[in-house]
Amino acid sequence: MTGTAAALVDEWTTGYRDADAPERRLVEAARACIARWGLRKTTLEDIAREAGVARATAYRAFPGGKDRLAEAVLCHEAGRLFTDYDAALSTAGTLEDLLVVGVTGALAIMADDEVVRSVLAHDADLVLPHFAFHHLDRFLDVATELCRPHLGRFLPDDAVRPAADLLARVVLSLGFRPAAWLDTRDPAAVRRFVSTYLVPAVRPPKEPI
Amino acid sequence: MARDGIGRVTVEGVAREAGVARATVYRVFPGGRHEMVAATVSWAVGEFFAGLALEIGPVDDAATLLERGLVAGRRRLAEHEVLQHALQVEADEVVPQLASVMPAVLAFLRRDLARRLETERLRPGVDPEEAADVLSRLALSLIGTRGAWDLDDPAEVRRLVRGHLLAGVLADPEGAPTV
Repeated sequence: MTGTAAALVDEWTTGYRDADAPERRLVEAARACIARWGLRKTTLEDIAREAGVARATAYRAFPGGKDRLAEAVLCHEAGRLFTDYDAALSTAGTLEDLLVVGVTGALAIMADDEVVRSVLAHDADLVLPHFAFHHLDRFLDVATELCRPHLGRFLPDDAVRPAADLLARVVLSLGFRPAAWLDTRDPAAVRRFVSTYLVPAVRPPKEPI
Repeated sequence: MARDGIGRVTVEGVAREAGVARATVYRVFPGGRHEMVAATVSWAVGEFFAGLALEIGPVDDAATLLERGLVAGRRRLAEHEVLQHALQVEADEVVPQLASVMPAVLAFLRRDLARRLETERLRPGVDPEEAADVLSRLALSLIGTRGAWDLDDPAEVRRLVRGHLLAGVLADPEGAPTV
């Protein structure tokens, strides 16, 4: 794992491990401001005021500034997935069960979370550049590290990165652009999708290919 | 746009380059600069995929199509001057434009793949339309971002396509015709 990925994993999950952490308060404040005013009109000053911290603290928490605010909020949602669903992910008994929990949770956040939904609906043009082309590499690195402890229970070490890479791409794609044929709120439909298409795709191929 | 970057493109500059009056540019692009940039990005994307299809050539099966498409797509993107410059320097302006053209590209690729899959032996429970949708999304994502894969290595591309992407789709991905 690169140092950057390690730092980002920490940044994305700290806020959710500790409810009193300043990161958590700042992300909650950012979410409140975005819900109230929209992403475009939200400033780091607004967020600092909402969280009751100094401006400098807000700038430290969002080092990319306003341009990277939506990315930070969405990335924290990825962190939230792995903390909120930690118990379900950690106790999944099969690779299929694990992927059902993870994919359902991730798509539920992208489809149902009010702030994420509003950002994707109104400000996708501000967000997409951070999840495409060379920028997506960073997200894939971090997604890999977040998935590693869970996928590692079912896959050999060297199969974790390819698996996490494909899963993150599928989830992002379906989150940004839902598929008409997949009702992500129907558990039976998600399980069929996971068992038919995802489980075989993430398993390491039988040699030799 | 390739020379100066999209951010510096103006209606005046384009009129001068083309040797026409500003009014002519506005007749072609009534929306002005924004429409001009959008049209150019769409045109570049269309040209990119048309060239890619030509390079892939006539292919009957999904595995070969994906293998050739990923290798050639990745290489053509790396060599594409206008798109590379735009993606490195002006992602904020270009990516949303690309995102608005992508549904059309995705739909085209999906139809093409579904047509091929309908003639191939699929695993039980696989629907060619669904499989084509998942494969198209992944293929476009992989051309845009390398992530965990080295698409310059033919053996790795083969493992990616036959061992992962098509593992849940084809009854016998290893037995599919080889490039």
